[in-house]
Amino acid sequence: MSAEERVKKIVIQQLKAREDEATSEARFVQDLGAESIDSIELMAAFEAEFDIEIPPEEGERVQAVGEAVEYIEKKLKEKDFSHKD
Amino acid sequence: MKICIFEDEGYQNLYPLSLTRPVFELKCGQVTLRERILRNFPTVDTSYFMREYLTPAFSQDKKEVSVNEMEALKREDVFFINGRWLLSKGELSLTGEEEIGICGEETLYLRATTKTIKDCFSLNFREFIDSLKQKLKKKEVKARMITYPWDLINNNCWALEQDFEFPVKEGIQGKLPCSATIYGEKDRVFVAKSATIQPLVLLDSTKGSIYIDEEAIVFAHSHIKGPSYIGKKSQILGANIGEGISIGPLCRVGGEVEETIMHGFTNKAHRGFFGHSYLGEWINIGALCTNSDIKNDYSTVQVYVKGEFKDSEATKVGSFIGDHTKLGIGCLLNTGTVIGVGSNVVTAGKVLPKFIPSFTWYLNGRFYKGYGLKQIIETARVVMSRRKVTMSPEEVKVLEKAFKISKKEREKLIEKSKR
Repeated sequence: MSAEERVKKIVIQQLKAREDEATSEARFVQDLGAESIDSIELMAAFEAEFDIEIPPEEGERVQAVGEAVEYIEKKLKEKDFSHKD
Repeated sequence: MKICIFEDEGYQNLYPLSLTRPVFELKCGQVTLRERILRNFPTVDTSYFMREYLTPAFSQDKKEVSVNEMEALKREDVFFINGRWLLSKGELSLTGEEEIGICGEETLYLRATTKTIKDCFSLNFREFIDSLKQKLKKKEVKARMITYPWDLINNNCWALEQDFEFPVKEGIQGKLPCSATIYGEKDRVFVAKSATIQPLVLLDSTKGSIYIDEEAIVFAHSHIKGPSYIGKKSQILGANIGEGISIGPLCRVGGEVEETIMHGFTNKAHRGFFGHSYLGEWINIGALCTNSDIKNDYSTVQVYVKGEFKDSEATKVGSFIGDHTKLGIGCLLNTGTVIGVGSNVVTAGKVLPKFIPSFTWYLNGRFYKGYGLKQIIETARVVMSRRKVTMSPEEVKVLEKAFKISKKEREKLIEKSKR
């Protein structure tokens, strides 16, 4: 499964969204109805799924599904790169 | 002779309450442990020793006071007093022989002359005290020492009665409407001139004194049992206030509360019960939050102290909550629960875990790091500004340090929640 598919699966589970709602453009708060506590749980779920660390100040800037995919792919590349070192 | 109030290693047993303040700034009765010591020696010069990171915030409104200054101790005879001592009226005399007062393994005080101080002097306060301990003769003394957070609660009724005798103020200075009732001795009730007592309030002094301080408002249908202290500008919102209560200043209290100490600006405005608990400052307790203070099997209560659960040897123990923590609606706190500083708790109806570290979000059964320290400080600023208080840079530094100190235990539980 691609990172994008995994992100969408988590979004659907955590925010109780329908599959057709979890588009790349969908914003967590405005479109999917996430409260601040949902966002905290969402970021923690991303951390657990991808085995990455999301600092709170970076997590706060991730506000839509597409942004989450982009951010996580970047994080995974960094992790891959540091492992090769 | 001058006095020196100091912190010893015992501060860690009093976390999270002592994470953001020196131990002697903890309250018992109407006042702090420090104020209780000082009122015995009102005209004596005082210096203080405490953890270094607390000094700027402690000193900000005490410009003339010496804090963590070793050289200041060299100039005259010094009477060193342990800041965890719950001192009673007239219990201690400045004059007397050079000696150490001990209570079990605790050092209560050290009385030393300038010569002895010079002989034992070290720039490190702990080493200096250790050196004095070697030199001075010991005297066994009985005393009330605050070793664990529940000691503050267990001594509160006693302290409240002591404090009622201390001020020279007497009687009811404020107006008492004809439908408000004092049940018990009238001279065990003090209502300050600027305090407001609404109709249909019952002040029960049959078991202890009641002190309602300046500009406090007791709303209709409140029932207050003594001994209790309602601090300046606090509001009692039709609450059922049991004995052993110290509130304020500027707290709002509703529901049912007994045997509980609350620092300033803390709100528990709605229904729900809190008993045998100690709440720091700027805490908000959501509607219907309730704590247990006795177990169903009436066994002694275990409380999280220094990384492990310790038997309090008491059957009635409530909750201990650090400054700036917020409990969402309907939280259920187990007997002897400890919640750190700056935490955010939202529950899904289950009883909370017995320990939630500082600066942690506890949501629906899991621990999270939340939005981090920056956001916690930002929220604290907003909360404080609503009461027209500005958070000082010194206070921010205390929270930053507390965040670092509590990092390990926080990360451990957050990591565990990921599995």
